[in-house]
Amino acid sequence: MRLDIPRDVSLDGHVVDGVMGYLTLSTGIAFALLVLVLVVTLLFHRARRSRPHAHFTHGDGLSARLLTVAVALTLFLAIDVTLAVRATRNLRERFWNYPDGDPNALRVEVTARQWAWTFRTAGPDGRFATPDDVVTLGDLHVPVGRPVYLKLRSKDVVHSLYLPNFRTKIDAIPGSTTRLWFQAQDPGRFEIGCAQHCGVSHYKMRGWLIAAPEDAYRGWLARAETDSRLRYDPADVAAHEGWDWETGR
Amino acid sequence: MSPEASSAQRLNGAVGMAVFLGACAMLFAALLFAYAVVRAQAVAWPPPGTPPFPRAAAASNGLLLIAAGFALRRARGHGPKWAAVSLGLGALFLLMQAGLWGRLVAGHLGPGTGALGDVFFALSAFHALHVLGGLVAIALLLRPRASADARPRRLRLATLYMDFVVAVWLIIYVAVCVA
Amino acid sequence: MTAPDAPPHPAAPPQTPTPSPSPSPSWLGRVFSTDHKVIGKQFLFLGLAFLAVGGVMAMLIRWQLARPGQPVPLVGRLLFPGAGGVISPAAYTSLFTMHGTIMIFFAVTPILIGGFGNFCVPLLIGTRDMAFPRLNMLSFWTMAAATATLTASFFVPLGAAASGWTAYATLSTAIGAPGAGQTMWTVAIYFNGVSTVMGAINYITTVVRLRAPGMSWFRLPLTVWGFFLTSILNALFVPVIAAAMVLLFFDRIFGTQFFIAGSTIRAGGDPILYQHMFWLFGHPEVYILILPAWGIVSDLLSFFARKPAFGYRVTVWSLIGVVVLSCVVYGHHMFTTGMSPLLGESFMVLTMIISVPTSLLFLNWLGTLWRGAARMRTPMLFCVGLVFTFGIGGLTGLYLADIVADQYLHDTYFVVGHFHLIMAAALLLASFAAVYFWFPKMFGRMMSEGLGKLHFWPTFLALNVVFGGQLLIGWAGMQRRLYDPSAYEFLAHLLPWNVWISRAAYVLGAAQLVFVLNFFVSLRWGKPAPANPWEVGTLEWTLPSPPPHHNFDVIPTVVRGPHELGSPDALARGKDWLGQDEVLP
Repeated sequence: MRLDIPRDVSLDGHVVDGVMGYLTLSTGIAFALLVLVLVVTLLFHRARRSRPHAHFTHGDGLSARLLTVAVALTLFLAIDVTLAVRATRNLRERFWNYPDGDPNALRVEVTARQWAWTFRTAGPDGRFATPDDVVTLGDLHVPVGRPVYLKLRSKDVVHSLYLPNFRTKIDAIPGSTTRLWFQAQDPGRFEIGCAQHCGVSHYKMRGWLIAAPEDAYRGWLARAETDSRLRYDPADVAAHEGWDWETGR
Repeated sequence: MSPEASSAQRLNGAVGMAVFLGACAMLFAALLFAYAVVRAQAVAWPPPGTPPFPRAAAASNGLLLIAAGFALRRARGHGPKWAAVSLGLGALFLLMQAGLWGRLVAGHLGPGTGALGDVFFALSAFHALHVLGGLVAIALLLRPRASADARPRRLRLATLYMDFVVAVWLIIYVAVCVA
Repeated sequence: MTAPDAPPHPAAPPQTPTPSPSPSPSWLGRVFSTDHKVIGKQFLFLGLAFLAVGGVMAMLIRWQLARPGQPVPLVGRLLFPGAGGVISPAAYTSLFTMHGTIMIFFAVTPILIGGFGNFCVPLLIGTRDMAFPRLNMLSFWTMAAATATLTASFFVPLGAAASGWTAYATLSTAIGAPGAGQTMWTVAIYFNGVSTVMGAINYITTVVRLRAPGMSWFRLPLTVWGFFLTSILNALFVPVIAAAMVLLFFDRIFGTQFFIAGSTIRAGGDPILYQHMFWLFGHPEVYILILPAWGIVSDLLSFFARKPAFGYRVTVWSLIGVVVLSCVVYGHHMFTTGMSPLLGESFMVLTMIISVPTSLLFLNWLGTLWRGAARMRTPMLFCVGLVFTFGIGGLTGLYLADIVADQYLHDTYFVVGHFHLIMAAALLLASFAAVYFWFPKMFGRMMSEGLGKLHFWPTFLALNVVFGGQLLIGWAGMQRRLYDPSAYEFLAHLLPWNVWISRAAYVLGAAQLVFVLNFFVSLRWGKPAPANPWEVGTLEWTLPSPPPHHNFDVIPTVVRGPHELGSPDALARGKDWLGQDEVLP
């Protein structure tokens, strides 16, 4: 019975694993101490002939209160405060530090609907709403080693783009645009899931994230945009996926 | 009942009514919060294309409700027939509200036609249900078989409730119809 | 701390001499009884019945997860006739929706708050009935009507609600959920809320106004504090979900757009508005459910360890602290919705701060047990079980409070394991502790100790396997609410885990039959219960088992706190406890 965790192939996913590890260690120690106290009391502090009555105290003396406050405070500082400080820093420096001005970042518009994901990339010209935009159903192609910047919308209900191998997810909400960024460090095929109940086929709302080295990615993009150019009809506005990245319209 | 027992019972009623009004206040506060969000999301308020809202009609209905509140207050010193007047005015308010809703639906301001219609209808319909509840309470305390001893206490509680219901109407009116 | 024999508190409110009318001989009078003890039992039976319904649903969910697509044995063809006994994806979505809804609103709430709250509060504070007995009766029948509405929703054409107990818009609006089932769900939740608020009005007024002379605030049993504080949260926040239900109802029936985003042609609202309103209620709701459990366990640990509750005042202030903080942490359910960073970070910090009062409360439990002389009777076993499961459950909350970890863990089985350890395991254990403890007082008979222990061990062990196992598969990345996890390649290897979790769940289900047996057999043939079988000092144990209709012949005068066990004064009198109203010469 293996309990394999999805392999982390992202730039910042190790931070998530680090937090989980620290929490397991610290709460593990706290819980072990708790169990120890419980075991001792249940084995030795029970009613028996040699122990006819309990040690009488209301536990409201100064030393008792200081002890409980000290333990609670230690836990709070060691766990909560440490985590909060590290989380705030990591959120601001990494996860919520979106590559808005970064020319190197690949921008992808994601549309969620019952029950599939579509992805629109700007194509080699780097601009959306041009004939070389590439729209894919279910497959998100990304290059390795460059930031990938997603903006998401939903056509119907709330969905959630879940990238287990990148230790992250973000909701797609009808009427709003949300965003997510990540960077693949290794090539490969990684599953995309939906992580917000969205109807009867929520369990099948899957996709694939295909991370390829830069050359291979550019090769794919060139082939894909050639196909797109052939099919692009500037008059058929209703068939155009996505929206204007800059203005949001 | 002894005087201290009846004053104790009165305090119980006051505490209970305070909790009840607190809960109702939270309900209307949540509805108003939803209104605030809808309004903040809109590009302009009222949203473009919304027909003009019949403020005068809504205001005159409100006056009926305020009159009902005053009538109930008067019943405290001047006899239960004022409670019956309050009941009548309150019922008239509800009838007029129903009429207003009909007019709004006909004038493309009903629920489902636009944000202003949505908001006004949701808030005023729920408010009207609360008025109805108050009227039922007044009717119950006016029953011939109801205990005459309990009447002053029940009247006091009903008055507190009607004051609250009138206050909510004023807030709804100002927030939705005036602003 | 109050000195044991202090004189009666001078400012206690005068008793309101409005006893309920004597028990009515007519069956109509009995069915619509205004006696808090009868109403409490009505809530208890309703809650226990629906606990069974919710439990069966859980067994069905676990069957599907362990053996996806296979027909359910025995009852499959009866329950899912159109599909040959197989649970379809649509049926599955209704199952987990109604399981959650029933367990929270129609099982735990009636058992703990409606059942034990009603039965215990007047007895524990030394009065004859609730402040508003007829409102109390209405509260039960409103709950019954809500329950009937929810039950009826199973039989409408498109089936019962299926958008999760959380019913996020727009899945729960006409966009995602056509059909009367979801609409009836909103109505049922609304009237469940009305019942709860009626109860809150009663409990708050009763505790504020009807305490016996000498029963000062800091002499109240912690059980009463639990019910009182829960009622404050109920009064404040149940109306918020009621408002959400009203707006959802309007969106579904009248075409309004509160929870549906606007467009260029029509202004509208925001689906996220629903989430804010829902969780503004939803987070306090989990504290609403756990506060009575915390209060009961705090008392029972003291009673069975035969020593006072450790740090009573600190415990009370911690409970109050949790109540205050619970109002401002709800955003931690919405970390992945793209909220502003400042808002997210604030919710994270506030959520973490709640650890402080919670750990103080917890440490006080350990202090109560430490150097006690514990009597390991059935209620005590369940309390210790709660301490254990709440320990794990509470600590796993920290993983979810940290936004960095929550990015990965949100909407996975880690969350399911976390909240089930607290909501299901801890609450279930507390409810059973309460039943075993107050059964003698309620029904005048003792339950079987042997069967109680036979109920406890498999229940406790299975709870840990089921929900601990879910923590692990959540860590491995399995999302919630999946009809068939093997649809994902990265989850296929977790099937054996789901199989074992399901097996433990079946053991858990089977173990409850021992409880059912014990309950009904003891009801009929249990040993007649003395007035005070547990030898503790709270006021209900001064009365016969069961108490007479009017509770107290003479309203007692309280002279000490509820946890005076093992004191020198008691020992000097050849026993190890003193009653709250026991005057010493």
